[in-house]
Amino acid sequence: MRKIVLALLSVLIVAGFVMSCAPAAAEAPAAEEEVAAEPAAEEAAPVEEAPAVVDYPREETLYTMGKQWGPPTSWNPMQQGSYAMGAIGLCYETLFLYNPLTDEYIPWIAESGAWLDDTTYELKIKEGVTFSDGEALTADDVKFTFEMGKNFKSAFYSELWAWLTSIEKVDDYTLKLTFSSPEYQKWANYLYTVAMLPEHIWSTLTEEQAITGANQPPLGSGPYVYEAADETKVVWERNDSWWGIEEMGLNMAPKFIIDIANISNNAALGMVLQGQVDLDNNYLPGIASVINGGYGITTYYPEAPYMLSGNTAWLVMNLKKAPMDDAAFRRAVAFAIKVEDIVTKDYGNIVLPANPTGLLPVWDKFVDQAVVDELGFSYDPAEAKKILADAGYKDVDGDGFVETPDGSQIALEIGCPNGWSDWMVAIQIISQSLKEVGINVEPVYPDYSALTAGLYGGDFDMVINNDVQISNTVWAYYNFIFYHPIKEQMISGTGNYGRYENQEVFDLVDQLDATPIDDVAGMQAIISEIQRIQLTDLPMIPLWYNGVWSQVSNTYWTNWPSSAEGAPKYLPATWNGYWNMGAVLMLAELQSTAAE
Amino acid sequence: MKRYFLRKLLIYLLTFFIAVTIDWMIPRFMPGDPVLNMLAKAGSVHAEAQEVMYGYLTTAFGLDLPIWQQYLNFWNALFHGDLGVSVLQFPRPVVDVIKSAIPFDLLLLIPAIVLSWIAGNKFGAFAARSKRMDNTLLPVGYILTATPYMWLGILLGWVFAIILKIIPISGAFSYALKPALTWTFVLSVLEHWILPFASLFIVMFGGWAIGMRNMIIYELEADYAHYLEALGAPKRLIRRYAYNNALLPQLSGLALKLGVIVAGAMATEIVFSYPGIGYLILMAIQNSDYFLLQGCFLFIIIGVLLANFIIDIVFILIDPRTRLGMQGGAS
Amino acid sequence: MSEEKKKNELLFFALRNSKLKIGAAIVFLFVLFAIFGPSFAKYPLNEFVAGGPNPPSADYYMGTTAYGQDVFAQFVHGLGSTFIVGLVGGGIATLLGMLVGFFGGYKGGWVDELLNGVTNIILVIPTFALLLIMVAYLKLRGILLESIFIGLTCWPWAARAIRAQTFSLVSREFVDLAKLSGMGTLKIIFREIAPNMMSYLFMTFILQFGGAILNAATLDFVGLGPTQGASLGLMMNWATIGSALLLGYWWWFVPPGLAITAIVGALYIMNVGLDEVFNPKLREM
Repeated sequence: MRKIVLALLSVLIVAGFVMSCAPAAAEAPAAEEEVAAEPAAEEAAPVEEAPAVVDYPREETLYTMGKQWGPPTSWNPMQQGSYAMGAIGLCYETLFLYNPLTDEYIPWIAESGAWLDDTTYELKIKEGVTFSDGEALTADDVKFTFEMGKNFKSAFYSELWAWLTSIEKVDDYTLKLTFSSPEYQKWANYLYTVAMLPEHIWSTLTEEQAITGANQPPLGSGPYVYEAADETKVVWERNDSWWGIEEMGLNMAPKFIIDIANISNNAALGMVLQGQVDLDNNYLPGIASVINGGYGITTYYPEAPYMLSGNTAWLVMNLKKAPMDDAAFRRAVAFAIKVEDIVTKDYGNIVLPANPTGLLPVWDKFVDQAVVDELGFSYDPAEAKKILADAGYKDVDGDGFVETPDGSQIALEIGCPNGWSDWMVAIQIISQSLKEVGINVEPVYPDYSALTAGLYGGDFDMVINNDVQISNTVWAYYNFIFYHPIKEQMISGTGNYGRYENQEVFDLVDQLDATPIDDVAGMQAIISEIQRIQLTDLPMIPLWYNGVWSQVSNTYWTNWPSSAEGAPKYLPATWNGYWNMGAVLMLAELQSTAAE
Repeated sequence: MKRYFLRKLLIYLLTFFIAVTIDWMIPRFMPGDPVLNMLAKAGSVHAEAQEVMYGYLTTAFGLDLPIWQQYLNFWNALFHGDLGVSVLQFPRPVVDVIKSAIPFDLLLLIPAIVLSWIAGNKFGAFAARSKRMDNTLLPVGYILTATPYMWLGILLGWVFAIILKIIPISGAFSYALKPALTWTFVLSVLEHWILPFASLFIVMFGGWAIGMRNMIIYELEADYAHYLEALGAPKRLIRRYAYNNALLPQLSGLALKLGVIVAGAMATEIVFSYPGIGYLILMAIQNSDYFLLQGCFLFIIIGVLLANFIIDIVFILIDPRTRLGMQGGAS
Repeated sequence: MSEEKKKNELLFFALRNSKLKIGAAIVFLFVLFAIFGPSFAKYPLNEFVAGGPNPPSADYYMGTTAYGQDVFAQFVHGLGSTFIVGLVGGGIATLLGMLVGFFGGYKGGWVDELLNGVTNIILVIPTFALLLIMVAYLKLRGILLESIFIGLTCWPWAARAIRAQTFSLVSREFVDLAKLSGMGTLKIIFREIAPNMMSYLFMTFILQFGGAILNAATLDFVGLGPTQGASLGLMMNWATIGSALLLGYWWWFVPPGLAITAIVGALYIMNVGLDEVFNPKLREM
């Protein structure tokens, strides 16, 4: 009897091993099929020999991590938030790059772009740009890409056609775009966010395929081509016949770029300490103490704030609910929050406190200091209490918390997504700060979808939100704060979740969008007026600037972007939208530590 | 015999039906709209395009149909092997997502459960031999089984991966490799597997050891054991009989453990970033991914039912009492 | 044997059994710590009193977390919630298990089939995953709620064990006597069967107590524990998020796990001791 039991059990174990290795091995042929199927007229022989490659040599590979939460499932540049690391930037390219650190538009696929008059824009494409299958990228592809927005209403730039009338092909490398009511700021944004697609491949796709398809393997014009992918990683291989090598004299240093899918920030720290990741864009708590630990890890700044600022964390309040509909109440809240504690205790000094306008440091020139001095706020609990008292908020029932002027109880909730640990601690700090001045606010941690459902539907009290990121235009920030028109559901991509209504400022924001990007004086004038209204009413309160989390290992690659003299000045991030904000240039500057 | 099997089968089918229905029900009543959530994750897509996307995706997922129709569609799709499309990893089908996680789960769970069962039983029987051994070895078993899986896992990871630097800390295999039946790959898999396996093994080992020790003691005090002793049979023989008899309740314990081990495995997978079903479940919950949740549950339910069924058969083979019971006698 | 003599005999053996003594002592120690600890805590729970992480010192007895919260305060409050979960969760599980096990075991027949079926279904469904969902449903979660959930999902173990024991008792003579004398089902169960299983019930409760603590720790660790207050599992969760071990803040991560291991381990050892006390056959071992 025992023998039977033992026999059965050993069969089970062996079966277990075999079952687990077999499907994993079965993936190999699939991956190889993908590579072989690529219509590649490659001069670079290594790609053809791909099936034999099982190892990626360490000193030629750049390991990245931090963008991909979960397995990569899409290489479709039309899926702005969810395409795999590098789909835009390494594989697909945009007309220009925009570097926020130097406030420069760098012509990439485009040779130049200029406004001939108020409503006509002339775009010249570089000659010699090719897709990785050898086909030339011409004005036809650019025209096709933009017109896809007209034909497919679900494309993310389809609204462009509300103010763009027509695109005319002047010659193989020149296009003339005629606008009805040009939104200069938005247009400049599209110049570096819309990826140029190969007409000869995409023209046969239906809307469903084009917008929701996985697009695997992708075919673009960029410096890297798709090599392999599985649940845990994406592998890009350098395209040695990339047009940029000749046209722009750029040689990308890593032969392979492997992006590893995240599972948790804690696991990421472990891997960074083990030297398995070269460029990591996770939020790593305690990174400041690791930098001096002899692991060869550095950040952009050698000391606080260590990281560049990438977006603002706002305290969004529901203005349709008392007492948050009272501007005085909101102002008291602004004075009550001890942001310094969030910066030091929660983040260990890797973030910066926001200035009262909430504008990122790269937009310092748009901050009207006079308005800020007059109407701004800072941490001052005494002032907060005074504002509350002056506005009629008193503690009537002696429970230590104030009630509204008409006597009703205040019991609010401040929320953030469950699991976003730094925000969870932040709202605990905020809650404690507010309680100290007498405002009863409790932290809650609903899970992400429940929280966003409440946010979009207008069913919340207070929420921390940082949806709007660094970009080429400060208009994007005001579009977020004062988004209009206000609807039942303010879904992702909009803003103004608190539903603040003020036609005057809405008009100003629209006016800003219609201001040319080089008219800095004009923009400043409008922005001053916007800031005056913003600081008087405080529909959202800016708290701190989240960093472009980035820590790099100098063990295999050096010459990373940093604040040091002579170091490259690019955003060291692999997040979506960042490659085309100049990060791709960092790859040409990297130096391998292996002997040449 | 037939009656016995039929009855068992009926019970299993009934259990399956009810479990699957509960499986289908529960995720539906979770708060949060998965489509909105998916769109939110898509980043700052312009608002106008969002509305079109929302309508399209809701239809694609069948979420606009009445509840009863969704239920019937579910059973229908189930028999076609179609578990829907994952919201979390759109546009990947759920079967694909689970398929890629199953091998690692099996690799982790089956050896851990089976080996710890065998080793634990041996250890427990060994400890039951003498009082001194019992008193020294047994507390070890109890402490092991009292250890929280993830705490042990993290400690092991810290010692072996960070301090001693001999084992990697996360993933299922090296990121520099493509899955292939080569020695490098197999070694890499084993390297990444050893720590999660160890944490599960160590804790479960303690549990089995204790169970076995208790069972052996009861058996050694049974009438037949005294009778054999009186007859002058060698101690080894008595112990062997006791061991075989004690195995039976341990076997049914094994069946039960399978359902519970999901919890321990989930915590371990999270600690070591081991891409198994447990972790998928957590992700699915956090992202309101109905279809993925259902798929994962289904897999676990089927797995546990199957394992229970196999163990039932094993019981019939090795336990004469069950065989008798099958032939109509009440147990 | 008369009741009085039996009790004395049990007590006699109980006091001599070292496993029981050691186990009970450890648990008792922790209970004391949980009750009186909070009054020794210098700092209020979860407040950000320090500028960052600090190792244990005279000022911070067990150091501070990465965010500057006092670990000692969290630890002693966490012990309290751990015991509450064990008590309530384990208690509910044992009660439910008793109900189902007794009725099924005593009545037999289709009642038993039905109850057994229900038990099996709950055992088959990955109840932990169910727990995850139920808990994710709620915005604000408390210790009590968590205990109730755990109790509702852990009872099948107790039910099975009690059912098996009930079976063996049901066939004894005194039960037949009671049936002949016309006693009602409930009375038979609670007057005749249960008292004979007292020891077994008590041991089942201890096992459920320990199991509930472990379950709660896992739930907390995954991030689905109580949203306010403290618990040992929650401490481990935050310590992992804050990469405590990797950054060298061992005082944040190690003590909670150690405490759980110690308490649950002590409970199990107590269990073995009790087994020996109640079961004469084991005493001679």
